[in-house]
Amino acid sequence: MRRPRGTGDPLWYKDAIIYELPVKSFFDANGDGIGDFQGLYEKLDYLESLGVTCLWLLPFFPSPLKDDGYDIADYLGVHPSYGTLEDFKRFLHAAHERQMRVIIELVLNHTSDQHPWFRRAREAPPGPLRDYYVWSETDEKYKGARVIFVDTERSNWTWDPVAHAYYWHRFFQHQPDLNYDNPAVVREMLGVLDFWIDLGVDGFRLDAVPYLIERDGTSCENLPETHALIRRIRRHIDERAPERMLLAEANQPPAEVRAYFGEGDECHMAFHFPVMPRIFMALHLEDRQPIVEAMERTPPIPESCQWALFLRNHDELTLEMVSDDERDYMYLAYSMDPQARLNAGIRRRLAPLVGNNRRRIELLNSLLFSFPGTPIVYYGDEIGMGDNLYLGDRNGVRTPMQWTGDRNAGFSRANPARLYSPVIMDPVYGYQAVNVEAQENDTSSLLHWMRNMIRMRKLFKVFGRGTIEFLSPPNRRVLAYVRRYRDDIIFCVANLSKWVQPVELDLSAFAGLVPVEMLGYTEFPPIGSAPYFLTLGPYGFYWFELQRPRA
Amino acid sequence: MASTGSNSSVREPEVAAARTDIALVLTSYNDARTIGPAVRAMRDGLSRHVGSGSARFILVDAGSTDGTEDAARAAAAPSAPIDVARVGPPGLADIPYHGYPRRAAALRTALETAARLQAKACVFVDPGLLVPDAAWTERLLSPVLSGGFDYVSPYYVRRANEGALTRGIVYPMFRALYGVRLRQPAGHEFACSRQLVAYYLEQDFWEFDQADAGVDLWLATAAACGPFRACETALGVRPPPSRDAPTDLGTTLAQVVGALYADLEHRVDVWQRVRGSVAVPLVGAVPTAEVEPVSASLEPLIESFRLGYRELREIWTWVLPPRTIVELRKLADGGAEAFRFDDRLWATIVYDFALGYTMRVMPRDHLLRSLAPIYSGWAASFLLQVGGATTVAVEDRVEQICRAFEAEKRYLISRWRWPERLR
Repeated sequence: MRRPRGTGDPLWYKDAIIYELPVKSFFDANGDGIGDFQGLYEKLDYLESLGVTCLWLLPFFPSPLKDDGYDIADYLGVHPSYGTLEDFKRFLHAAHERQMRVIIELVLNHTSDQHPWFRRAREAPPGPLRDYYVWSETDEKYKGARVIFVDTERSNWTWDPVAHAYYWHRFFQHQPDLNYDNPAVVREMLGVLDFWIDLGVDGFRLDAVPYLIERDGTSCENLPETHALIRRIRRHIDERAPERMLLAEANQPPAEVRAYFGEGDECHMAFHFPVMPRIFMALHLEDRQPIVEAMERTPPIPESCQWALFLRNHDELTLEMVSDDERDYMYLAYSMDPQARLNAGIRRRLAPLVGNNRRRIELLNSLLFSFPGTPIVYYGDEIGMGDNLYLGDRNGVRTPMQWTGDRNAGFSRANPARLYSPVIMDPVYGYQAVNVEAQENDTSSLLHWMRNMIRMRKLFKVFGRGTIEFLSPPNRRVLAYVRRYRDDIIFCVANLSKWVQPVELDLSAFAGLVPVEMLGYTEFPPIGSAPYFLTLGPYGFYWFELQRPRA
Repeated sequence: MASTGSNSSVREPEVAAARTDIALVLTSYNDARTIGPAVRAMRDGLSRHVGSGSARFILVDAGSTDGTEDAARAAAAPSAPIDVARVGPPGLADIPYHGYPRRAAALRTALETAARLQAKACVFVDPGLLVPDAAWTERLLSPVLSGGFDYVSPYYVRRANEGALTRGIVYPMFRALYGVRLRQPAGHEFACSRQLVAYYLEQDFWEFDQADAGVDLWLATAAACGPFRACETALGVRPPPSRDAPTDLGTTLAQVVGALYADLEHRVDVWQRVRGSVAVPLVGAVPTAEVEPVSASLEPLIESFRLGYRELREIWTWVLPPRTIVELRKLADGGAEAFRFDDRLWATIVYDFALGYTMRVMPRDHLLRSLAPIYSGWAASFLLQVGGATTVAVEDRVEQICRAFEAEKRYLISRWRWPERLR
């Protein structure tokens, strides 16, 4: 049954399962060693069968690729390595045919230094054209702003010998920040939005959104003027295409991120950065407290808004939002190899982070799929792909998707030396051991497990839309919480320990109801007034529907 | 007149100016032979049984070339004028099993017209399938007009050897899934309230792939899943069809069961929460049909099953678990005299095929057609058990089957939620 597009729920993103992928890494259809839109088009059946409902594409625009495409040289095109705009349109249409939405990157904060706007600005006399970017005679302005990429950048200012002035950049020096105090820049970016909206794109991830505006005497992050700009973008989208979604990337404490929802008039979604490292910490500590604290510190958000949840993504596992002690603990727990550390984080994929322990992978995904928010699955994590710590920057988690055990992991027919990145070849995570084809043929594979979990998650809107309430059983190795939405009551319990754990739960508020284990639809004994006793296997978890007893 | 999904030609000013209490909807395709009697029967039924209240006929024709429209106009009366709409001519692929093309577009057009006429009640009849009895108009209408019901489903008395597909699959599965005991949920004769008309027009199934074959069932499902009161109305013994009935069991199964399975996917958030089932009121007296022994030999049905087991067993192993295959082998190897399908086995087979359908383990049409020999076996088993039984006894037997479908619903849910490929 194909449903015509455009008749959907405006809150579709609350029920979505988002799959994040770089086009270059997914599938190479033309054999040049780089993934492309034709390749992505050819793999849509796979994504449909996985059950994901929304694809988040990392930057695919023309770019010198010094920051993996986040250094954009043309907002209105497709990088020739990935195909053409026609290829993109064909892919987008086919994704929509499969009821999959597509969100793309909108890198508002900066461009590449190769962008025509910058090349023009640095040669322009003082005035509107030069003012597309932020210039200064000195590098003393905005001293309150921290340097984000501490491993590579020493200052947020870089001298430009052509302009004879310093230009401002919060990230790499080849990424000059746009100047949103210039109305022309705002108009330009709204035009960019319109271009992609008119093609049918369903949403935009707003990259590095806290840094859009600079003011002396501040940290240059989360400024009121930045929020005013986002509200303007939101108004523009609502007027032009109301079902489109804005997803904020604001790696900030929860209270600061909360501001990016506004009163429901800024972004529809924002990443929940603080909870992700605490999930890993709780797992290693075998103690639920870090998760419960992070969730309890999460402020309420407007009804129309939603958190975006993830375990891993294309960046490092960022530890910016944890305390110094917590960061030290995480480094010791998850990155004894210094090669794994980058900036304030750990550049590893999910499977290697948890020692390739299948039970841990399943447990973490069960949290991802049952916590309040929209889950994001990073490409390859559905088959337990590994990483390559010896590739620079974050490239070790952006290696070619492993489709088969054939040459180049079935990713490309090119000469292996021509691939944009070597495939993973180690004996544990290498493509001959970990690939889609093998896991398709193995009904107990992680791929089948993920597919079923996604299917289960989609059956219950409570996961995307319901409230959450944590229980406090005496055994802190067990995390227990109740999700509610309309008539649905779901009770989730998870063992964070590597050993079997007993737990007594106060479920007296649900006395008389019958827990039905959701995955196997198995009825458990009804809840009474006494504590409800459960035993959980190592890293085990249960989801229960609480049903009324049969008449 | 603006009309989504059809090429309606009802004259706008004519309808815009009109209002009616009752809309009598006929869908037609080369039904010149039967459309006149159908219109007259409904017209007579209206004047004889319904009494006051304005009424209009809405004829939606799918491009007849035999004078159907003229015959309908000639049979109409000034007291119940007729509006004619046309849906575009069918393509070669548009002919469903019952021979009525573009039925979804026709029903949608009729509902849109009825909504514009602000009809309090709508009655639907397909004269190509049946020539209605004059009393039907009242039996279908009065539950809506005076009983407060929103959906009136037909209830025909059927002999043991009639309606096996409905008795064996459609009714038991519909009931188990949606919790409403509508015994003939895909009937082309039904009535609905103004509220339900509006609800139908909001549904998104009109342009789904199988809409022409499945829309009647989906209308019943929508009524069952929504906040509406449903009942059955006794329409007596079902007359023989006037349009050619299908002869190809595989095609019939693919279309009817395919529509049922497709709806399963569409309304998964509803049926997985429904537990048990409730009876709906039956309006009117149910006559007793004469008991007729099953005259035809059942051996061809059993042989079809055995042949299917030999030839299609490999295909079945894609959707049926080993224990089911073993049970089927025992049936295939056994003698005709002891040929009995266990109800729970049958229910799990229907559910396993549903799962195979949604998992797309093979082309869906192939999968559904491969069900035909098993269905033949089940039908033989059913007829062996009910041959010569009274209609009441047959209904009791159907009730047992339904209970098996309800009991095995857990099996369907657990497999649906955590499907495991068998191969």
